[in-house]
Order: sequence, then C-alpha cells, then structure tokens
Amino acid sequence: MIEAIGLHKAFGPVVAVDNLSFEARDGRVTGLLGPNGSGKTTTLRLLCTILVPDRGQACVDGIDAAVDPRAVRARIGALPESRGLYPRLTARENVRYFGRLHGLRGEALESTIDRLGRRLEMQAILDRRVEGFSSGERVKVALARALVHAPRNVILDEPTTGLDVSGTRGVRTLIRRLRDEGHCLLFSSHIMQEVSALCDDIVVVSKGRAAAAGSPADLMQATGQSQLEDAFVAIIGSEEGLG
Amino acid sequence: MTLGGAWIVMRKEVVDNLRDRRTLAAALFYPLLGPVLLVLLLTVIGRSFSDRAESALELPLIGAEHAPNLVRFLTQQGAEILPAPPDPEAAVKAGDVDLVLVIPASFTEQFRAGEPASLQLISDESRQSATISIRRARQLLDAYSGQVSALRLLARGISPVVVQPLSIEDLSVATPQSQAAGFMNMTGYFLIYSIFIGGMYLAIDTTAGERERKSLEPLLLSPLPRRELVLGKLGATLVFTLVAVVETLLAFGIVLNRIPLEDYLGIRFGLSGAAILRVFLIVLPILPLASALQIIIASFTRSFKEAQNYLSMLPLVPALPGLFLAFLPVKPSLWAMLIPTFGQQLLINQVMRDEPIASAHLVVSAGTTLVAAVLLIGLAVRLYERETLVFGR
Ligand SMILES: Nc1ncnc2c1ncn2[C@@H]1O[C@H](COP(=O)(O)OP(=O)(O)O)[C@@H](O)[C@H]1O
Ligand SMILES: [Mg+2]
Repeated sequence: MIEAIGLHKAFGPVVAVDNLSFEARDGRVTGLLGPNGSGKTTTLRLLCTILVPDRGQACVDGIDAAVDPRAVRARIGALPESRGLYPRLTARENVRYFGRLHGLRGEALESTIDRLGRRLEMQAILDRRVEGFSSGERVKVALARALVHAPRNVILDEPTTGLDVSGTRGVRTLIRRLRDEGHCLLFSSHIMQEVSALCDDIVVVSKGRAAAAGSPADLMQATGQSQLEDAFVAIIGSEEGLG
Repeated sequence: MTLGGAWIVMRKEVVDNLRDRRTLAAALFYPLLGPVLLVLLLTVIGRSFSDRAESALELPLIGAEHAPNLVRFLTQQGAEILPAPPDPEAAVKAGDVDLVLVIPASFTEQFRAGEPASLQLISDESRQSATISIRRARQLLDAYSGQVSALRLLARGISPVVVQPLSIEDLSVATPQSQAAGFMNMTGYFLIYSIFIGGMYLAIDTTAGERERKSLEPLLLSPLPRRELVLGKLGATLVFTLVAVVETLLAFGIVLNRIPLEDYLGIRFGLSGAAILRVFLIVLPILPLASALQIIIASFTRSFKEAQNYLSMLPLVPALPGLFLAFLPVKPSLWAMLIPTFGQQLLINQVMRDEPIASAHLVVSAGTTLVAAVLLIGLAVRLYERETLVFGR
C-alpha cells in the first residue's frame, strides 16, 4: 500500500510535483500515466525516499517516509529511472549484492536468486558477467535485483522503455503475476496502450498534478468517452508526449 | 553502530575492482615507481661520485716549464698532468674539463724572489660534478704551499710550528647512514605517493563511476544507512591503499638491503625490519585521510574522467614540501608535525638517518592527521546523505 498525500517538489524554479495525492493498493496495478516531463519519475523518487518532498507525505504500508525512510526502503522493490548494473559482476553477483544489503544471506539468498532466475527466464545468463548483456537481459537483472528481498510494494519507472516485443510481454506478465500474488504494483508510463492493458487504477499526471484518477471505467465515464485512450487525451488536453 | 552493511559493501567493491585491470595496475605497478627511481638515482649519482674520488686527479696545466718543482710534486701526489685545451676558459665553461691550472711566466721570478707567486685555477664552482676535482686540486696546491713555507722558515732558523697557530683535524660526523639519507629524503614522499595512488581508481570507480554507470540510484534504494555505505567504500579504498604501501615499503627494503649499493656509493647502509615497521606505523594515519579525501573529491565530479583528472593531481600536493626537503633539510619541530603528510615525511627521514624520534612529534603528527581524517570521513557521510548526490554536485 503506497500513499501520496499532497506531495510537492520543486527544483529551483521548476515545480516537478505539485500537490499530488493518490493511493496504490495491494493486489492492484496502479499506473502513473503522463507525458515526458510531467513529474512521474520525481513522484516515484519521492515515494522511494531518494528525494525528500518540500511539502506533503509519502507513506508505504502506513509508514511515513519522512519518519522511517529505511523501513520504507525495506518494503519497496524498485526499478528506478537509472538502472545500471555492475558490468564486472555476474548477474547472480549483482542480485546477491542487493540481497545482502537487504539482510539476506546464505542458502536462502541463493535459492531466492535461482527462483527469480526461473521466474524471469534468465537462468542461462545468471552466471555470466553482465558486461555485454542486451537491454532486455539488463532489465531482467535489474528486476531480479529489485525483487530479491520479496518486497510487498513494487515500483517500476517506465519498465518497458527500450525493450523489444518479447521483453515488453515478459515485463507485463511479471506485473500481472505479482499483482495476483497480492503485491502492490505502481508503475509509470507515457504509453497509453500499456496503461490501458495493465492497470486496475490509473493516475493521469500532467504538469506535476493529478489531472484525474480512478479505474478505467471511472475515467471513461468522467470524460464521456467510450475508449480509454480518448479519455486520456480529453483529460490531458493533447496527445503530445504520449505514446 | 552496526557495520555489517559496510562489510558487505567493502567486500563487493574489492571483488569488483580486483576484476578491473586499470585499478589493479594502479595499485600494484605505480607503488614500485619510487623504489625503482631510487635505484637508478643511487646508481647513477653513486657511480659518478666514486669514479671521481678514486681515480687520479686529471689536471690540465699550462706553463709546466715555469714551475718544474711544483709539477713534480703534483705528479708525486698522484695527479695526472695533461696538456691544457687551447681555450681553457671556454673548455671549463663547456664542462669539457673540470679545471685548468695556469702557471704564468712571472711565476719563476716571483718564486725565486720569495714573493707570493701567482697561479690561476680556472674552474666553474657551480658545476656540481667538478667540485671534487676542484677540492682535490686546491688541497694539493695548499700542501705544496705549506711545504715550501716550512722550508723557507727553517732556512731562516724559525720553526714552522710558530706560524701554525691552529691544527685542524677533519672529523666528519656524517655517518654513512646519514650521507645516504641525503638521497633517501625522497623515500617518504614516494610512500605518500603510493598512498594517494594505490586506492585512487577504486575510490573513483566506487563513487563517480557508480554514478556514471547509473548504479548509484539503485544502491541508494537499499535500506543500508548512508554511513555504512561510505564506510564500506572507504574500507575498500583502504585495502587497496594498504597493499600499495606495504608493497612500496617492501620494495624499498629490498632495494636498500639486497642491492649492493656500497659498490656504487662507497658507503654502506641498510634499512632494518624494525625501521621499515616504524615507517609503516608513521604513515598509517595518512591512509584514511587520503582515502576520505579521494572519495569526497570523486563524489563531486560528474564522470570517471573528471575525477581522474583531479585525483591524479592530489599526490603532487604532499610532494611540494617533500621535494623542498630533498634540498633544504628542515628540522623536525612541533609546528611541522601539525601538517599532515609533511610531519610524516620528516619523521621518516629521521628513521632513515637512524636518529631518535621525539614521542611528542609522533603523537602530534598521528593525532592531527587522524583528526583530519575523521573530519573528512564525517564530511563524506554528510555528502552521501544529501539528496542531490544522485544527480551529481
Ligand atoms: N534533479 C533535477 N533537477 C532539476 N530539474 C529536475 C530534476 N529532476 C527532474 N527535473 C524536472 O522536473 C520535471 C519533471 O521531471 P520528471 O519527474 O523526470 O518527469 P517524467 O518522469 O514524467 O518525465 C521536468 O521538468 C524536469 O526537467
Ligand atoms: Mg521519467
């Protein structure tokens, strides 16, 4: 369960997030949809405690990020905007490092890595050095790294950017399966089809504000559109920056 | 305060960087630079010195016919009389010969008349390599002068002792150890150079490199306290630095003990195991200072390259007083001990000279350096607690 309550963040004169509130619940996929520069990455960084809000509150499982940021970080698995790996380490070593940082160790950690390897269909590359991996393979390792501590809440920033069709399908399948297992899924995207295809709840972000929020049915009803994508365009006011 | 997280980070960074050729080369190859340079220098300088001291004095001479007795004396004393070059002053200036002795035609007349007979010794005192020849030539001429004056006094019935109010005996207190230490003033600097070079690439890789390859944001998402993150990276830098320092010290030990330097220098000296250990303990407090400084500077830069530019300048800073020391020995004093790296270089020089070290100096030097290190580590932790870290600057 992730809550944004009146979040506000400015970088000098640029207001990146402006009084943004929404809720991402367990067992559901919540999507942040907005054009480039609308403040999605900044919002996710506020929720992950990478950034501190100027005003407002970020809560994860009821824990205020400002009060106990480490507890919040322990409850989140995230694929942030920058998702670099250590090229001289193998995929397994990359994942193992983060498992250890989350307090896992020994047999339990190794079997978790193996399980994630099967789940993400990356057993074949698990013991190869990351140097030279394709972008799809890199995302798999980054996802395994994000999930190694079995977090209840999963935050993914534009998880399918740069992936080919099968890579994109793999990520979508993973998101649905995690949702079905009861996790709270929050991801950002500027691609309407992706949000339409995946989300139970949608927050449309425009210029740092929540322009609309609700289930696909809610959004279509509110805008009087029969197609979800037409509803997005109606809410944001243009198609610019959306895919 | 738990440090389990720091240990995890440190282990990962060490393993990761052991797989990097550039980092390994910096840690293992550069520290040998000092010892290798010392061998070359000692060999070259030592050989030229001993050559001059042991071989016959080559004495180009003009006007031998005007002073046959003097020339005979010089030859008896082992000087090798050579014909002078056509333009003696130009030849000395050019360094073709160390000196030229000119006996003018007036010499015979003045000598016979008992007047001071003038001679010219053409030399270039500024030429370091000629100083030994000049000194030997002067000593020979002084000896001849003394011999003649003694004979003249005796001829007049006066004891030569009357005109010898002083009897000077040369007693040099320069032990072979301290003579050699002249060259060895560089050792301290080279050790400090190793400290700044050994962990340099690791410090960059784990900070500027981490951001450049975009793995910093994921790392900051882990629940690890920033303090432990910094301490882990610092620890890994220290491991590489430590290896470099130990390597440098062992190499110096081998150079000074195993290579027969006395063949070149004519003086014998060694560096005992205890002395090496003392030098190691003296420089130890510099290690955390250097590592923290490197981590701070590299964290501010945007790229590996930029960090490399700054950090490779860093060893030059302690070099300045070190180079100064090689020419102008400064006496160890408390104020000098207050300056990290400078105090240590003075102390190392004392160990090299086999001089006793004031324990107050040792304490002040280690104390100020460690305090500076702790302050810098605190600053590094602060830096990693700032949210702008992830974006750089
Ligand atoms: N570190 C930063 N410094 C300055 N401006 C920033 C920074 N991060 C984001 N911004 C600005 O904030 C706005 C929102 O950016 P971002 O959250 O990355 O949007 P999105 O992820 O939706 O593309 C943009 O105008 C961007 O230029
Ligand atoms: Mg973004």
